[in-house]
Amino acid sequence: MAELMRKPGARLLLHLAIVVAVFVLMMVVNDHVDPLMNYYIALAAMYATAMFGMVILVGLSGQVSLGNGALMAIGGYIFALTSMNWQTVPILGLPWNGWWSMVFAGIGGIVFGLLIGGLGARLTGPYLAGLTLGIAVGIPAIANRFPALFGGENGLTLTVPYPEGGYAAVDAGTDYVDPSLAASSAPVASAFPSQAASVAPGDLLTASNFPSAGPSVAPSVAPGDLLTASNFPSPGASSGAGDLLTASNFPSAGASSGDLLTASNFPSPGVSASAVPDLGGTDVSGGTGDNGFVIEHWQASLAVLVACIVAFMALNLVRGRQGNVWRAVRDDPVAAAVSGISPSTAKVTAFVISSLFAALAGGVFAQILAYVGPGAFGLGLSLSLLVGVVLGGRSSLFGAVIGAVLLVWLPEFVLNLSNDRGWSEQITNNAPNLIYGLLVVLVVLVAPGGIVGSVQSLIAKVTKR
Amino acid sequence: MIDFINYLLGGVGSGAIIALMALALVLTWRATRVVNFAQVGQAMFTTFIALSIQTATGNWFVALVGAMVAGAVLGVFVQYLVLRPVSRMDTSGAIIATFGVLIALQAAAGMIWGGDSQAFPQPFNNSAITLFGQEWPLSIYDLVVISLAALMVVGLTLLFTRTSLGLAMRATAFNPEVARLSGIRVSRTLTVGWALAGVVGGVAGVLVAPTSTISPNSFDILLVFAFTAAVIGGLDSLVGAVAMGVGTGLIISLVSGYSDSSNAPVVALVLLAVTLLLKPEGMFGHTKARSV
Repeated sequence: MAELMRKPGARLLLHLAIVVAVFVLMMVVNDHVDPLMNYYIALAAMYATAMFGMVILVGLSGQVSLGNGALMAIGGYIFALTSMNWQTVPILGLPWNGWWSMVFAGIGGIVFGLLIGGLGARLTGPYLAGLTLGIAVGIPAIANRFPALFGGENGLTLTVPYPEGGYAAVDAGTDYVDPSLAASSAPVASAFPSQAASVAPGDLLTASNFPSAGPSVAPSVAPGDLLTASNFPSPGASSGAGDLLTASNFPSAGASSGDLLTASNFPSPGVSASAVPDLGGTDVSGGTGDNGFVIEHWQASLAVLVACIVAFMALNLVRGRQGNVWRAVRDDPVAAAVSGISPSTAKVTAFVISSLFAALAGGVFAQILAYVGPGAFGLGLSLSLLVGVVLGGRSSLFGAVIGAVLLVWLPEFVLNLSNDRGWSEQITNNAPNLIYGLLVVLVVLVAPGGIVGSVQSLIAKVTKR
Repeated sequence: MIDFINYLLGGVGSGAIIALMALALVLTWRATRVVNFAQVGQAMFTTFIALSIQTATGNWFVALVGAMVAGAVLGVFVQYLVLRPVSRMDTSGAIIATFGVLIALQAAAGMIWGGDSQAFPQPFNNSAITLFGQEWPLSIYDLVVISLAALMVVGLTLLFTRTSLGLAMRATAFNPEVARLSGIRVSRTLTVGWALAGVVGGVAGVLVAPTSTISPNSFDILLVFAFTAAVIGGLDSLVGAVAMGVGTGLIISLVSGYSDSSNAPVVALVLLAVTLLLKPEGMFGHTKARSV
């Protein structure tokens, strides 16, 4: 077995098998949990996507960087701007869909990774951390500087390309339709053909352009109706349950110290959408079936799919030759250079890869929240990525997954605890970050390998005896 | 031209505060070769303490002294509990630990004082001084800030050049092993360095708070400015930190004046990037930014 694993082809297949197995498992899980859990899975998968890059950058190549939140901003804004402005893909002339925006977000990530990496690879330790700290604070500030393009402090709300339009090119059907409803959801396709032709891909299924495909289709329950610019609550309005993502309830850079983006302070469609009709039970085709479209389910499917693609790339890099190159440069740059490895090339490569992953995570972020804004991508996001990676295990991809789950789970846990004990909002909002901060210090002091590293060394101790 | 002079003078006050914060970063760097990214977190925390004292007593000077004492205690606490055990480990671990402290301090402050921005009462007249029949872009408060900062710098200079403790600190910064062999109690000296940094950072926090508002992460941007100033100054040079702190304040004031204050973080980033690209050891420093 070990012999077999040395062959690159076999390793590739193994990694593919792992990732596909995880993807299928998550899809099954997705189908059997409620929308709120779907939403948490989507968030955790998004964090994990970005944190795979942090594992490579911080864990393997030993460069402590805080810039990845800002790189997520780049991916998110590219996704938002391209999805808002493009009907067709420039130069290629193909009809636009969400995947194109993801591709361009990824390209943007690579370009910025080269820029930052080119500068950062010359630096070590605190200098690099300080520079990337400046990036984490400086890049979101650019959004404030050009409000016409980036929407300023309020950010941009975008029309998410839900599968009927933007992602139609990829057969996402099985991704978002609950299999149990698959038979009855067939009418969805037949109910929508006219609008697929008449509505431009960019602005699909909004309240205003929703054609009355069937007599009983109420525009107010159309999938696209939730999160469009036209019916989006304005930032100043203090409406009730509908105000998912206004400036006032969105964590902004200067708002509070509960500023790490966590599930509890994340405005969640699943949590706050009590006034929004349950799409899962919506009658679409004259009372004979459900369309089965649950936004959170689709969000989770998308985020898990992207996370799995990224995980496949990361697995091959980390467990292949490139991983050894990074470890060699981290442990002893001089020895690595003597062995014919270029430390600066290895460091820049780590930056580019982690930027690509962060930008893709940013693209997923934009679609989950239908919003991008400077406050969402502030220093808090970068810090929470660092927290997750350190707690899970700095140089373990599996640790990144655990860290991502922890980032989503702990705030929920604290919230539940707080509801039981009757803690004040002030305490509840800040308790997760206090725990994160103390845990980070504790992990660095007593278990630098994080959760995964500790378990590994424990297993090693037990099996030796 | 008159605009230019106005913007320049307007930047001296904020420059003095950035200089103090940069000084705090340099003090910890010199002592333990750790850039304490939690420094602004400590300053924020002590400023909240100062605000509580100010609210209770109504006396700004008592609040200032309270912040200084709390700063020293917090500095020793962080160094003793966190950085001393970590400093034997890799540099990544020490950096990550300081960020852990920063997150924890911000959350603790949010728990105690709430996450909203609070106004820090203005202790002195903050309107422009009229002199020679003309308004100047300086207030009494700016003058207080500048003189306090100057006082701290002079005090630290005297401490480092005229006292045996200062000599011990310089020796320790130069070479801890040799210092230990010469009979200097190195670990105590390091702790004193952290306490001093806490005091300086505490003063900077109390001075900056009345010019804006205070919230658990309102000082994040100050960290960026101070780090920029400290790196341009050379990271181990006290003179460099002060000079470049004031310089950074002036540049930010000019940029904010001629364009928009929202450019300030980007300008700091560009300054930092250019310095690290062209002269990583800074203008006054000897520290090598790259060990390979």
